[in-house]
Amino acid sequence: MLNVDGINAGYGRAMVLHDVSLKLKEGETVFIVGRNGAGKTTLLRTICGLMKPVQGTIDYRDENILGLAPEKLAQKGFRFVAQDKKVFSDLTVRGNIELAAYAAGEPISKAIEKVTSIYPDIKRFMDSKAGGLSGGQREILLIGRALIGDPRLFLIDEPTEGLAAIVIEDIFRILSRLKEDNVSALIVEQNLSVVSRLADRIFIMKEGKIIREISEKSEMADTLALESYL
Amino acid sequence: MIQTLLYGLTIGAILYFFAIGLSITFGTMQIINFAHAMVYALGVYFLITFMPLVKGIFPLATLCAIVAVIPVAYIMERFVIRRLYGESLDYAMIATYALLLIGTDLIKAVWGNTPQPISDPIGLSFQLLGIDIPVYRALIVVMAVVVFVALKLFFTKSIVGKIVVAALEDTEGVRCLGLNVDKYFSMVFILGSALAVLGGILYAPIATAEPYMGHDILLIAFAVVIVGGMGNLTGTFVSAFLLGMVLAITGRYWSQAADTMVFAVMAAVLIFRRSDK
Amino acid sequence: MNPDTSLSQIASTKRITIYRDMVLIAAGFFALIPLLAIHRVTDFMIFCIFVMSFDLLYGYMGRLSFGQMLYLGTGVYVSTLFSLHFSPNPILSLMAGVVGGAIVAGILGLIVVGLEGASFALTNLAFNQVGFFLIGSAFQRVTHGEDGISAGVEPWGFLDFANEPAAFGFVLLCLLFTFFMLRILTSSPFGIIIRSIKENESRVKFLGYNTFFYKWLTFVLAGAFAALAGTLYTLYVGFVSPVFIHPLNNVEVIFAALIGGAGNLFGALIGGVLFMSMKDSLSTHIPQWEWILGVLLLVIVFWLRGGVTGLIKSLTGYVKTKMAKGMAEEVEKG
Repeated sequence: MLNVDGINAGYGRAMVLHDVSLKLKEGETVFIVGRNGAGKTTLLRTICGLMKPVQGTIDYRDENILGLAPEKLAQKGFRFVAQDKKVFSDLTVRGNIELAAYAAGEPISKAIEKVTSIYPDIKRFMDSKAGGLSGGQREILLIGRALIGDPRLFLIDEPTEGLAAIVIEDIFRILSRLKEDNVSALIVEQNLSVVSRLADRIFIMKEGKIIREISEKSEMADTLALESYL
Repeated sequence: MIQTLLYGLTIGAILYFFAIGLSITFGTMQIINFAHAMVYALGVYFLITFMPLVKGIFPLATLCAIVAVIPVAYIMERFVIRRLYGESLDYAMIATYALLLIGTDLIKAVWGNTPQPISDPIGLSFQLLGIDIPVYRALIVVMAVVVFVALKLFFTKSIVGKIVVAALEDTEGVRCLGLNVDKYFSMVFILGSALAVLGGILYAPIATAEPYMGHDILLIAFAVVIVGGMGNLTGTFVSAFLLGMVLAITGRYWSQAADTMVFAVMAAVLIFRRSDK
Repeated sequence: MNPDTSLSQIASTKRITIYRDMVLIAAGFFALIPLLAIHRVTDFMIFCIFVMSFDLLYGYMGRLSFGQMLYLGTGVYVSTLFSLHFSPNPILSLMAGVVGGAIVAGILGLIVVGLEGASFALTNLAFNQVGFFLIGSAFQRVTHGEDGISAGVEPWGFLDFANEPAAFGFVLLCLLFTFFMLRILTSSPFGIIIRSIKENESRVKFLGYNTFFYKWLTFVLAGAFAALAGTLYTLYVGFVSPVFIHPLNNVEVIFAALIGGAGNLFGALIGGVLFMSMKDSLSTHIPQWEWILGVLLLVIVFWLRGGVTGLIKSLTGYVKTKMAKGMAEEVEKG
């Protein structure tokens, strides 16, 4: 479904990604693992259209999507959740959902339903400013926002970063539900427990390159070995 | 003294009309739009042209002037600013300055260089606490408050307003939801220009219409935006009146220093804001 | 090969290039004399110094200021007032003007340099406006405000600015000095840091450099050289007025830097000469010509970003590739 080939991308003259290629099949949950600075965020941002690579191609369902604006890709079903967990803090939670619903052309009631289905508790915060939410609540709101409309490909950057263990388990549960619903996802993650329990495949990134692809179940479960890549 | 304070309120109101568009453009596109000064003047000159055509009905002429400026603002934004601000702020700003140069000379060519006075459209005053207050000036202040409330409602209740508020904070996030922020920025740009024109027209009877009228207010308005906070609706409202007061009070005692006083306040705010960090 | 000698060899070849460039520049300005009349060339050269100072800030460090006239004006008025109240010596007046500009830049720089983009551009403009007010109104008793004031500079040795060739020579020397200093500066490690700040400031900070200091120092230097240009106006023109500090004139130096090609000292010189020539010819034929400036600015911003030097570079690049292709074809045939 998604075919990334030979991507070279960077900021100004500093190249961050060197000849990165990967494929993603429909319904797969694939993780990207690597230490900080390996280029994982840049890769995700390039795929969702926020960054333009200097070289390489990206095909989605046999269509060349290289250089398309992020809003166009969002309309095709791409859903990017950024690492900084930024929500629209000056709007209420309801306002956040409203925006996503308006963008996707979905009735607001259906959108709210989708979000509350993964996070029933959020009903309490509907009319509070989204800026007041905790990190974990924001991440869940962002994932909920991403469910609105017709999502086809989730691109999530470090969902569990900076969160407490209990909250991480909440995120894990939400991500496993997404997996059960056969959602396609490319997730950057450093929490190996989450990775090993959910991954269909794992890409290891180092210094802007993909150095390994792991698809063996046994290897993916071996969190100790995976740790060496962080 | 009361007269001075009232004058300060009036100036503050005008500043608000001018600055709010600047503030939103600043907040959304990160650029200062020099051409704002030009649409401000253009609106007033359109008013002068339309007045005889609408049999001297001031509000109608005002409406026509605002409507006439909208396509100008749209063309500027769509064909010059939008193509530049995403990739180079410097070039975008230089381009808006270029538009200002072109527009000002155009105004001079069409309407001439001599200042044109406009009469107070109401010409009445009322008594409050034993002081003569021109109705017109009070009306301006009232209108500013009305606009402020309307804008507040717009940005908190309407979907377009919410999109802009969201985009002010997180443009990428809005784009990644599937919304074309350029379109919405364009809308608020035009809205801001229309408000500037309104401000220019309301102010013209107090001052006079001349091609460079926008230049002077531009810098003061910038100070308003800096003090109030870029893209901060309430902040712009408060700082507009605050600096309007500064202008009026300084103007009474040392008229040429009025502008400088405003910049002194701006510099102080800049210094203190950074020492917070 | 001993690494030390190779470094000093590189350094000396660089020096030779600089000297060669200086000779070329001097030759260029001499060549303009028969075309324009010597007093115009002198005027142009002073403006070119100002453009070079602006380019240091904008072209090399990437900070667009709409208020550099403030520093030119500071140089103008400090040197004028110095010559009237302290000493008619031209060299001392010049130094006073430059020091004055540097001090003002040093103080205001502390406020401004931490700002970015639009805030930076406009705050400088605001300060320029304040400076204009101070000169034009507040200190009217000293500066004679809008009426202007004559400098009290007197000839010193062979330095008599009433003598056109002497004036030309001295201004040319100052221009070459400015070129030399800025060339050395921009190709030194300091210059590399400045240019890196333009590209990606957070990276430079991350490497441990105090970017605030470097930005501030560049700002002070830009102000000092702008003031130098100002003092030369004082010495050469002899009569000064607030037009030398008027904020609306900032567009002139911005235009000159852009049309010549920003980030390039030759570009600054070419741009300065081009702009002044344009201004001369346009203002005699068309009374209202600012819109032409506006149109040209738009043209530059959309299509001619590198200015004249950029155009030349891409043309020579095009010619070179054509020639290389031609040669490759020859080799294939033969």
